Amino acid sequence: MKETTEDVMRAEYLAFVGRVSASLSHEIKNTLAIIGETSGLIGDLLEYSPPPPDWDTFPRFKELLSSIAGQVNRSVTIVTRLNRFAHSMDDPVVSLELNELLQDINNLAQRFANLKEVRLKTHLSNGRLTVQTDPFRLQQVVFGFIDRGLQTAPKDSSVTITSGQTDGLAQIVITDEGPPQAESINRQVSAPQATFEETEGKNGVALSVLGLIAAQLGGSIEAEDLKPRGNRITIRVPLESQ
Amino acid sequence: MKKLSVLLVDDREEFVTTLAERLMLHGMEVETANNGEDALGILKEKAIDVAVLDVIMPGMGGLEILERIKNTHPDIQVILLTGHGSTKEGIEGMHLGAFDFLMKPVDLEELIAKMKTSVQGTHKE
Repeated sequence: MKETTEDVMRAEYLAFVGRVSASLSHEIKNTLAIIGETSGLIGDLLEYSPPPPDWDTFPRFKELLSSIAGQVNRSVTIVTRLNRFAHSMDDPVVSLELNELLQDINNLAQRFANLKEVRLKTHLSNGRLTVQTDPFRLQQVVFGFIDRGLQTAPKDSSVTITSGQTDGLAQIVITDEGPPQAESINRQVSAPQATFEETEGKNGVALSVLGLIAAQLGGSIEAEDLKPRGNRITIRVPLESQ
Repeated sequence: MKKLSVLLVDDREEFVTTLAERLMLHGMEVETANNGEDALGILKEKAIDVAVLDVIMPGMGGLEILERIKNTHPDIQVILLTGHGSTKEGIEGMHLGAFDFLMKPVDLEELIAKMKTSVQGTHKE
């Protein structure tokens, strides 16, 4: 597909957002490193200079330091995810391992699933699935359908991300247990242009936009109803040619 | 027995002084610098076994310091610290002669283990 001025401007915009986000996450990590080392030093000092035996809050101090260390590690994991996400905006086309990208999206979407009280699960293929694509746009499509599934799935149900390949195409399947809506989804993802009217709810996604992005990536989207309830969304994108 | 002599280089003064204090509590001799010029100056004065360098610093970055160390003091082992989520700079550093690299925030036990492994055969602690 020929790049238009709008495409180039959008790529530059994303690269700018990505660069600033990556820089900020780097700074947060540096701050976390200082917090981690400082609490570690306090722990070391307590260890190397044992307190008087009558200091009965000593175990509590150690417990609190351990809690700080745990929260620092958790924050580092979150910031690392943010950093990887930000770097996905760096280049419009890269060669990437699809299962790693899906695992990242799964991690990013877990909080949304928790808020909806829905389980978000992955069943990723064992083999490598290498695709040459725009990582940010592919994440946008996959996340959009996970989000749609979470919005419509009943409490305590599951949304599952599965990966595989068929006929030279990588396949990402997102299943949910919400009301069957395949006909509506297929109509929207094949719409010739995007409209904001199709946005599902306040924070939802315009499925027509996801369909257009998938087409720009050389891929396709297909929805099927599941019996008695649920939807299976299959996103196909070309595997990297050998 | 001779203590392991370490040079820590990072532009975050709080980070480097805290980490230095922890390493000293673990029985090491530690020198610190907040930029490349000061680090190279210390190497002229002191015998260092291992240099721990932050990759991203204003002015001279960790990879440039690494190259200079390997030109003048090839026996000094270098461990790089990178704050990025990627391993690109770390791998580049290993091509330039670094012993290994670690992501910040560092796990102290892992850093100490890497430093000890890096000098195995050349240093008797």
